Amino acid sequence: MKGKVVRRVGGAMIVFVLAASAALAHITPPVVLVSDREAVVGLLQGARKFFVREVRLSAEDRQIIQKQWQWNADEEFYRFYLGRDDQGRLVGAMIFLTEFTIHGPVRVAVGISPDGKIGGATVVELTEETYPWLKPLIDHDFMKDFVGRDSRGNFAMGTRHVGAHENMALFYGQVVATLIQRGAILFETAIVKRGGAA
Amino acid sequence: MNGIYLSRLTVSAKVFCTLFLIGIGLGALAAFAQAFTAVGLSLEEVQSSLAPQMPMMEMGHGQMSAEKEIDIGQISSTAKVWIRTPLLIQTSHTHLFGQTLIAGLLGLIFLFSSLGEWKKAVILSLPFVGTIIDIGGMWLTRFVWPQSAVLVLIGGSLFALGYLLITMISLYELWIRKEAFA
Repeated sequence: MKGKVVRRVGGAMIVFVLAASAALAHITPPVVLVSDREAVVGLLQGARKFFVREVRLSAEDRQIIQKQWQWNADEEFYRFYLGRDDQGRLVGAMIFLTEFTIHGPVRVAVGISPDGKIGGATVVELTEETYPWLKPLIDHDFMKDFVGRDSRGNFAMGTRHVGAHENMALFYGQVVATLIQRGAILFETAIVKRGGAA
Repeated sequence: MNGIYLSRLTVSAKVFCTLFLIGIGLGALAAFAQAFTAVGLSLEEVQSSLAPQMPMMEMGHGQMSAEKEIDIGQISSTAKVWIRTPLLIQTSHTHLFGQTLIAGLLGLIFLFSSLGEWKKAVILSLPFVGTIIDIGGMWLTRFVWPQSAVLVLIGGSLFALGYLLITMISLYELWIRKEAFA
């Protein structure tokens, strides 16, 4: 009787352990590469004063973005950090944007110059699963390819990367590139068109 | 329980239980370190990681933008994780499964303790209740009331307290307690 109970308990324990391992295997902890402050300071170099501008998109704005770029910009509001010089002139703007993928979120900081062109970008956060895919591209400074492009520019991964990196790297590189383009789209829509880029 | 007590288990069963309890303890320490580095352990840090991103400025009805000057010191300088809803869903499902299974295994061992039934019931409930309060607190912080972040700390503490009590009592009964039971 006692042996039977012990065997049953042992069996139950093994089932529990296997199930726990399976459940825990899903966890992909976030990897934060830089703090928000580092990203803001890094992308707004030359700024003497810092401002926050929060913007809402109108239904018309959203419609235009959807039609022109096939993106549903559905956040309630977007937060830009603006850098200005001593005279109050706009030096640049930056925004944090996130894409939620099946392997976890990818968060990117996008710097934009007053004329709406990309000034720089940095990956702020991803996950332990996606980091090894993106790291070779980050090491190759692939985001530099998009500097100087505006919202209508080409944000496809450059030919120098295709073939040089595995498919998952290229996929996540494109996720980052798309986020960078979205930064430019939002800046143009919510700041330049409203006359706020001075 | 059915005449089987921790102190009466075979040596292999005792070793199994002991190593399991130690392993879970090490895992809990690693989880604690991860929570400390990725989120933080103060109420404010938990709250800022879980609460929804709130506008920094009041925008009236129909107002499309607002701007204010900030000090660069107002922007977080620590690389902390902000847990958005998709990550909260992921965290909830993995932790509810994982922690409940761990609580189940801890409870399974503890069922063979010689403590009275009520004491045993209360102690083995702690990790389960802690998990529910912990994860429930995350959702309440995100969607109902940011102050609910205190529940995350309480839940985590209850889980840890339950683990410590179960482990200390179990190890004592496994290896030190010798008396026979009726």
